[in-house]
Amino acid sequence: MTNAVQVLILGLLLGGVYALMAAGLTLAFGVMRIVNLAHAVVIVGSAYAAYFAFQNLGVDPLVSAALLMPVMYLVGVAIYTTLFRRIEGSARYVEMTVLLTFAVAIVVEGLLAFFFTGIFRTTDPTYATDAFFVGDWFIPKGQLYASGVSVALLLGLWGFLRYTRIGYGVRATMQNRSAAQIVGVNVRRTSSIAFGISTALAGASGALVSYLFPFFPARHWQWVALLLALIVLGGMGSLKGAVVGAIVLAVASSFVVDQAGPIWGPMTFYLALFLILLVRPQGLFGKEVTI
Amino acid sequence: MALLEIREVRAGYGPGPDILTGMSFDVEAGRSYCIIGPNGAGKSTLLKVIAGLLKPRAGSITYQGNRLDDLRADQVLAAGICYVPQDHALFPEMTVRENLTMGAYLERDRNAIRERMDRTFEMFPILGERAGQDAGTLSGGQQQMLALGRALMIDPEVLMLDEPSLGLAPAIAEQIFTSIDELKALGITFILVEQNAERGLACAEWGLVLDLGILRFEAPSDEILADPRIRELYLGRAVAGEGPK
Repeated sequence: MTNAVQVLILGLLLGGVYALMAAGLTLAFGVMRIVNLAHAVVIVGSAYAAYFAFQNLGVDPLVSAALLMPVMYLVGVAIYTTLFRRIEGSARYVEMTVLLTFAVAIVVEGLLAFFFTGIFRTTDPTYATDAFFVGDWFIPKGQLYASGVSVALLLGLWGFLRYTRIGYGVRATMQNRSAAQIVGVNVRRTSSIAFGISTALAGASGALVSYLFPFFPARHWQWVALLLALIVLGGMGSLKGAVVGAIVLAVASSFVVDQAGPIWGPMTFYLALFLILLVRPQGLFGKEVTI
Repeated sequence: MALLEIREVRAGYGPGPDILTGMSFDVEAGRSYCIIGPNGAGKSTLLKVIAGLLKPRAGSITYQGNRLDDLRADQVLAAGICYVPQDHALFPEMTVRENLTMGAYLERDRNAIRERMDRTFEMFPILGERAGQDAGTLSGGQQQMLALGRALMIDPEVLMLDEPSLGLAPAIAEQIFTSIDELKALGITFILVEQNAERGLACAEWGLVLDLGILRFEAPSDEILADPRIRELYLGRAVAGEGPK
């Protein structure tokens, strides 16, 4: 029992960070129908930025998360404006976003490998290896802080979408793009903002990831596969689904790792992906698509 | 000068042929119009072009003397022209209240939004009762009322309705037409596309008959309803007016 609670604690903490990583990905799909295979490479790139700031300037990764968000927001808006606006209205838009973001991922990975080489990196703030002890259980400080930041950012995103005018526009565009135009939403501008937010969330995730996991340029392929599994489970385009999917799979993965060993951890995500596609292809909170 | 002037407009979808093949007509302020015509005549396409959802390939649209055909949909709405499409275009996972709030997306005055929402709830009490319910869970008639109510939230000068009675039970459709009659009293200029041509024309002052992408005929609605040739060609009725043909 004690061990099960410990595994649950670790799974929930991990799930919080996964939820933040997946939220940006599902937002990009929900608003702009962009299947962003470059989302995880942005996370890795941001992890390198946090690593650089920590090693050279002594900036704490949690501070880097806050600093990276506005920078990555602007990067996201620039990427959307230069790359995706050109293909809007294309008959094969969704497929083209897959190819385009795949190409972006390869280019960014190559640049990261060129500048930082392919060796493993990680930032090591003191709290990354420290823990709080509560009775028989321990709560790793680094994971707790990362999860806390994730929850705060996700609550901020929820509040933004729920209570601000632009947030209403983003939600409207996610639910019905042409209806959003009809009520006066400038969907192009809204899409730029949403992609900027998606990239900003990836930026914050990268800073947190920089001390949670060792990373190297090609690591993003593993993460993007994992994130796609999370958002397919939750329902592509559903923020609630991304959060629930992340927590469910992170907890399940933690138990699998505990029982069967770390090598089986990633299997949990892919097995869940296969099962959900077989049983409920639209995911837990997604809408059924009829052709 | 007419409120809205459509001149030689040609439009179609993607690489396909022109659906509107040279449409021209004027819309006078405060008047209500019903557009009728067979399937494929271009009725819905015309509304989409005016609403800025489909760019015309040629021709011009002017509103209060200003060109409209280069504007985006949100800019057309800001100019005062609101469009309600056939499928209602609601936000299914937003509540009734949130959908109405979205209707006033371009309005910054919170008091005005509150007043208009109260007016809408007064006009459609069922929406007030279901204010906290997701729009996707409403019945077809309630969704149509919500679509109408949402359109009113922006206080439009011109309101274009595409097939407001489509798929509704006759009694519910009648409620919608009654609501439209009430809305006309607010001085809104109406452009209505309606398959139930007789009921649509009865609701409007002026009728426009479209066929093959151009305006074939226009006249006061009662004249169209009384014209045996038009009745036979476009209303699907025998000259004597009894029963479907």
